[in-house]
Amino acid sequence: MFLNLTIDKSHRYDAIVVGSGMTGGMAAKELTEKGLQVLMIERGKEIKHIEDYDTALMAPWEFQHRGKVPHYSAEELWSNSRFGSLANEETGKFFTNDKENPFIEKRPFDWIRAYHTGGKSMHWGRQSYRWNKADFEANAKDGIAIDWPIRYEDLEPWYTHVEKFVGISGQKEGLSVLPDGHFLPAMPMHAPERHFSEAMKKKLGRPVTIGRVANLSAPQDIHTSLGRASCQYRSKCSRGCPYGAYYSSLSGSIPAARKTDRLSVLHDSIVSEIIYDEKTQRATGVRVVNQHTKQTQEFFAKIIFLNAGSMNTAALLLNSKSDRFPNGLGNDSDQVGRNIMDHHLGVGASARVEGFEKEYFYGQRPNALYIPRFRNWGNDKQAYLRGFGYQGGASRSDWKRGVGAKGFGLEFKKDLTQPGGWSIGFGGFGEVLPNPENRMYLHPDKVDAWGIPQIVFDAAFGENELAMRKDMMNSAAEMLEAAGFKNVSGNNRQDTHLGLGIHDMGTARMGRSPKDSVLNAFNQVHACKNVFVTDGAAMTSSSCVNPSITYMALTARAADHAVSELKKQNL
Amino acid sequence: MLNRRNALKQIAMAAGMAFSSPTLMAMNRREAGEAGPESQFSAISADDNALIGMVAEMIIPESDTAGAIRAGVPAFIIMMIQDCYHQPEQLSFREGLDRLHRQNFMGLSAEQRLQSLTRMEEETIQEMKAFQVKQTKMGDNEDREQIKKQASGLPFWRLMKELTLLGYFTSEEGIKGSFEYVPVPGKFELTRLAPGQKIYAY
Repeated sequence: MFLNLTIDKSHRYDAIVVGSGMTGGMAAKELTEKGLQVLMIERGKEIKHIEDYDTALMAPWEFQHRGKVPHYSAEELWSNSRFGSLANEETGKFFTNDKENPFIEKRPFDWIRAYHTGGKSMHWGRQSYRWNKADFEANAKDGIAIDWPIRYEDLEPWYTHVEKFVGISGQKEGLSVLPDGHFLPAMPMHAPERHFSEAMKKKLGRPVTIGRVANLSAPQDIHTSLGRASCQYRSKCSRGCPYGAYYSSLSGSIPAARKTDRLSVLHDSIVSEIIYDEKTQRATGVRVVNQHTKQTQEFFAKIIFLNAGSMNTAALLLNSKSDRFPNGLGNDSDQVGRNIMDHHLGVGASARVEGFEKEYFYGQRPNALYIPRFRNWGNDKQAYLRGFGYQGGASRSDWKRGVGAKGFGLEFKKDLTQPGGWSIGFGGFGEVLPNPENRMYLHPDKVDAWGIPQIVFDAAFGENELAMRKDMMNSAAEMLEAAGFKNVSGNNRQDTHLGLGIHDMGTARMGRSPKDSVLNAFNQVHACKNVFVTDGAAMTSSSCVNPSITYMALTARAADHAVSELKKQNL
Repeated sequence: MLNRRNALKQIAMAAGMAFSSPTLMAMNRREAGEAGPESQFSAISADDNALIGMVAEMIIPESDTAGAIRAGVPAFIIMMIQDCYHQPEQLSFREGLDRLHRQNFMGLSAEQRLQSLTRMEEETIQEMKAFQVKQTKMGDNEDREQIKKQASGLPFWRLMKELTLLGYFTSEEGIKGSFEYVPVPGKFELTRLAPGQKIYAY
């Protein structure tokens, strides 16, 4: 279904979009649908929707290492491997070879990358939550960093716009802490989860809802017209969905952009630099290195959207030096590369659930429960700032319980073919505060295979995050106990660093003044208005909810502004 | 892949002794931005092979459904120890095999073999207490088992059991014999377990 690429001989387009992931895809869709000729440039290999999901329908026994990661993959994907089993044979192809794409950790940073069509939208967690009003006001209220130049109301219509397109299954709850969106039918809770949800409401006054997830529970015309079908409840999303049931750039935005006949896509092409024209004070195009031939080419456009992923977007700005911008394009404030944020995770609690032995289910739900933030909310006041949400739920143990259990032989074998008991667990996602000392920059000498400076990470969690983690573990345990579950055990993984949440953001923040921010209220680089940054780099604070839907809403809003400014000939 | 793996092993042999501790190795790895060298798992003899098969089959015996041997578990275990486990585990796995050889395990009566493995399991339960195995919820859908790193590898019996169960219950014989295999459920529904109902595998 992907047409052969025809690159315009003059290399001139209305818009260039750097990156094909969550926001690059959305930028390409919005801009092409508004009539622009768009060139999307992807640094990695081409993945064709469905056709290249070669593990999607494989049976468990067809994977040589059965989901475990062999040494040679662990070595090639050494950073990816810190998350867990990302480098295994089911999904390893959709992550980046860290060895061939080196970076430097002055302080440890867990950088998870996906250099291919669709980027990380290929295997995101699909959890989609709107920010609330207070999230946009938090920095100003707390006196932390700088204020957001926009408020919830500015983004509200764009949330609705992207939610309709993406397709999100969820339950309306009417909560100010977790604003409702445009939802497809919600997925059901398991019986012990319903028990937990009711107990939380009654005993602690805390709402629990089913996850808001970008899997089509009931596809609408806007989805089926792109060839997307209903979720089949296999829960093997990260291998790529042959039904197009979960949203990705491959299943959603790229097919939509292609429908307009105004999209060209260039793969294997690393944007090394943005070309700046001193006379017009505008960017005129980008310089690209082919990752195989290492040849360079230039492409030109009226506007440029940077959607390379927060860290690479910032690196691209830093590497785009000119007389006007000796420290990198748009870096008058010295904020490019600073204020790295993420969500900290790997902390929570789990417990054994007694009873519910007859309760069972058919199919695998690609979703879990969500417990919205309750800390520093309403009347609650903690010694640390901000808060966290929990994700998790109940499951029935299977044969894996035999690994740590006593016994072997005939009875043991027979027992392991029966469903085991229920257990329940939750992991927190905590807000990370912006801190200018948490930063990345370009190494002065070390370059990669394409002659582009390597990124150096120098960032770590601060006191606020560490204090919050303790509460995240204790509060999870407290809730499980309050629900009457047994053997409650807290956990707080110690070997996590910024990056592991795979929500890295903040390296080119939005703000009101060019003095202390990189982007204006419409994601335009203050001093170079035809360059837009709409990936996670734009974030001024991090909230505690999963960020993709917010990035997409910001992107659609910025694209709308870009086209209207082009029409007014302001760009 | 095999050649590549051998090449890695040779590099490991050459470099393996240059590092004094796992921590130092990890630090070097971090600075160099690359993964560490892997160790060599010493060769498996025909006797080892037979022994692994015998122990695996005692964990998951043939019944009205396939046992570990018929499901191809012994070869799977050897491949996994080589490909996915680090030197401490490879060493403790080797030690476990040698210990059973010293007992002339394969020459023992069925009763004695049962006693030997029962004893080994008791010991392993004690040893595992030092490892502090924990399940961590990562959020979304990802769980992770954390095992606190120790100087010595996981005990032989734990490795045997872990790999026998993994190999068996992810094999075609194991899944189709034990469960109702449903690769494309098409819906998600809450149900009640019927008496004698087979559980679903996906």
